[in-house]
Amino acid sequence: MTIKIGLAGNPNSGKTTLFNALTGATQYVGNWPGVTVEKKSGKYKKNKEVEIVDLPGVYSLSPYTLEEVVTRNFVIGEHPDAIINIVDATNIERNLYLTTQILELGVPTVIALNMMDLVRKNGDQLDCKKLSNLLGCPVMEISALKEEGIDAVTEKAVELAKQKKSQNFVVPVMEEVQSALSQIEKIVESNKINHSLPKKWLAIKLFERDEEVIKSLGLSSLVKREVESCIAQCEKLLDDDAESIITAERYAFIGNIVANAVKKAKKGQDTTSDRIDKIVTNRILALPIFALVMWFVYYISVSSLGAIVTDWTNDVLFGEIIQGNVQSFMESSNVAPWLTALVVDGLIGGVGAVLGFVPQIMLLFLLLAILEDCGYMARVAFIMDRVFRRFGLSGKSFIPMLIGSGCGVPGIMASRTLENDKDRKMTIMLTTFIPCGAKLPIIALFAGALFGGASWVAPSVYFMCIAMVIICGIILKNTSAFAGEPAPFVMELPTYHIPSLKGVLIHMWDRGKAFIIKAGTIIFVACGLIWFLQSFNWSLEMVDADTSILASIGNVIAPIFAPLGFGDWGAAVATVTGLIAKENVVATYGVIYGIADATEESQDLLAMIAANFTTVSAYSFMAFNMLCAPCFAAIGAIRREMGSVKWTLITVGFQTITAYLVALIINKVGSAVLLGGSMVEAAIAIAIVICVITGVLLIGKSKLKSSQSIGLEG
Amino acid sequence: MATVIIAGLVFGLMALVIYHKIKAHKNGGSACGCGCSGCTSAKNCHSKSL
Repeated sequence: MTIKIGLAGNPNSGKTTLFNALTGATQYVGNWPGVTVEKKSGKYKKNKEVEIVDLPGVYSLSPYTLEEVVTRNFVIGEHPDAIINIVDATNIERNLYLTTQILELGVPTVIALNMMDLVRKNGDQLDCKKLSNLLGCPVMEISALKEEGIDAVTEKAVELAKQKKSQNFVVPVMEEVQSALSQIEKIVESNKINHSLPKKWLAIKLFERDEEVIKSLGLSSLVKREVESCIAQCEKLLDDDAESIITAERYAFIGNIVANAVKKAKKGQDTTSDRIDKIVTNRILALPIFALVMWFVYYISVSSLGAIVTDWTNDVLFGEIIQGNVQSFMESSNVAPWLTALVVDGLIGGVGAVLGFVPQIMLLFLLLAILEDCGYMARVAFIMDRVFRRFGLSGKSFIPMLIGSGCGVPGIMASRTLENDKDRKMTIMLTTFIPCGAKLPIIALFAGALFGGASWVAPSVYFMCIAMVIICGIILKNTSAFAGEPAPFVMELPTYHIPSLKGVLIHMWDRGKAFIIKAGTIIFVACGLIWFLQSFNWSLEMVDADTSILASIGNVIAPIFAPLGFGDWGAAVATVTGLIAKENVVATYGVIYGIADATEESQDLLAMIAANFTTVSAYSFMAFNMLCAPCFAAIGAIRREMGSVKWTLITVGFQTITAYLVALIINKVGSAVLLGGSMVEAAIAIAIVICVITGVLLIGKSKLKSSQSIGLEG
Repeated sequence: MATVIIAGLVFGLMALVIYHKIKAHKNGGSACGCGCSGCTSAKNCHSKSL
């Protein structure tokens, strides 16, 4: 018989860390809201009959956010056998608010006090026995990160589950409140209302006017009036609203517990995290520190250490070992030349070009994982909120973008955490502007080939993308579709801690593995197709690339990109194949040039790239590919999240037009300033961009005014 | 003979990849071509758990 145990607690209390430790899973542990918006299940490693369910982090069981609804529905609807309530011992007062609500539900519960090592480090003392007596349930210390005490707490939960002893916990309240609650209980009983909920919990929820509970009970108007009368009477006596009354009672109870069971060593003194935050989130220093951190990340992964390893991967592994040996083998086996070309130039050339970036990708993901796990990335969302809010945006919108720096698909889906529909739509439209892991090979290829691996290229592209998020956000906010106050942003900043090596390596491997899987599947097939198209003409005769099917298609669309500086068929085709997967841009060049080591600074490659790009047009190419429509998978995610084809097309169109205008400005102005290009063309490009922005703003504002005036008249 | 074998391998692999991707998509599997472990939105992405 399976025993189901739920892990419930505040965000960042350590639930997913505990879940991973108990089940051996490698679920993503993120330091920001929206990471776990669905429950995840797994079997306990030491007892396969025990099912562990990781629930989204919540501060209470009120039904306001998706996470709260998921957690509440699980506890009430799925009847777990026991709950392990993970409490962050360093923030016990806030965490116990949820604890009181869980205990009221009557499900056998054991409290796991996590991060006790930090409590001791701060010199504080927590009396678990007193806590246990006051709360009426077992309280045990654990360290989810160090996997200490986790088996003992799980076994305790299993023991409670087998005893099937429900708790009879009630928060002591004032006489007036108790009287109202007792009356509500009697109303429910006398009207024989059918339910399977604990009586006292139900009375409290009705007292709080919980919409979900009222709806689920299907109360008649008469019963609702009777209940409302009890509530109104109590509210009048205490001169406060019902929800606030209950909240105050809970916190009064919690205050009493903390006074009895917790001894703070240094009252009011800053913790280590506070001291670090004074610098890292400082009004003046925050952004320069962020810029420096991201420069460092890209310097290590793209320019220095990453480039060295990538050079070996391309030169030796793919260039000499794999490509060389496969070609020799196939020629000596008298394999048909077309097949040899397909395998060596097409498949190894294309897939090898992408896989050559694996070292850089792994390093990038390793460094990002370290930043996430230590708690710094959560601060970035807070820092960006300060910037965003000046322009009518919210830092809450930046969290999906941070998630999107690994892959745009989960980033787009993380927009579900935004309750405001306008903000959510706008976030979806802007999330894929942030370079994902798949776009890194494009940056690395051009940084290495055209800019000598200069350390400023990759960070500058990254910050250009962030600047576009802000600029486009401002423009969109001034249109009727997105106008409105920025969403409030409240987020708990997790305590800084040294990331665990295991956790960081798992994150790095998971993301890197996804990159490799995609290269071995989608890119593999795409390279075969691209090789065929660039090796054959419409009569299916083998020809040079310049007279191939691919070239003829490329030559049709190439003029569109001419104003951007890359109007040759190769660049046009590479950009379009990026819709399949952004890595395909590099793979396409690898196939077209028939070279596996596409990042190698060889004379042949530089000559080929230099024939088609200048430094300015290369930067323009990078900008276009960073900002244009994302890959098909991301477009599919946009379609699902927007829930409409119209908005999907608007989003894709908006992104592509934005990319086009940005690349146009970069190419024309850059050429005029740096390469002696035409100033007239630069001026025309600027004029076009100003006209487009003005047009969007004017149309958007006139629609806004007309909708406001309709609202006034209505 | 070598041509036939190698061609069979290459095209067979391609067909397998395409078949696997279409099957996964129809079964509500991963929508992005990457693996699901470690993805923050694995449960949101597709209806069935893998």
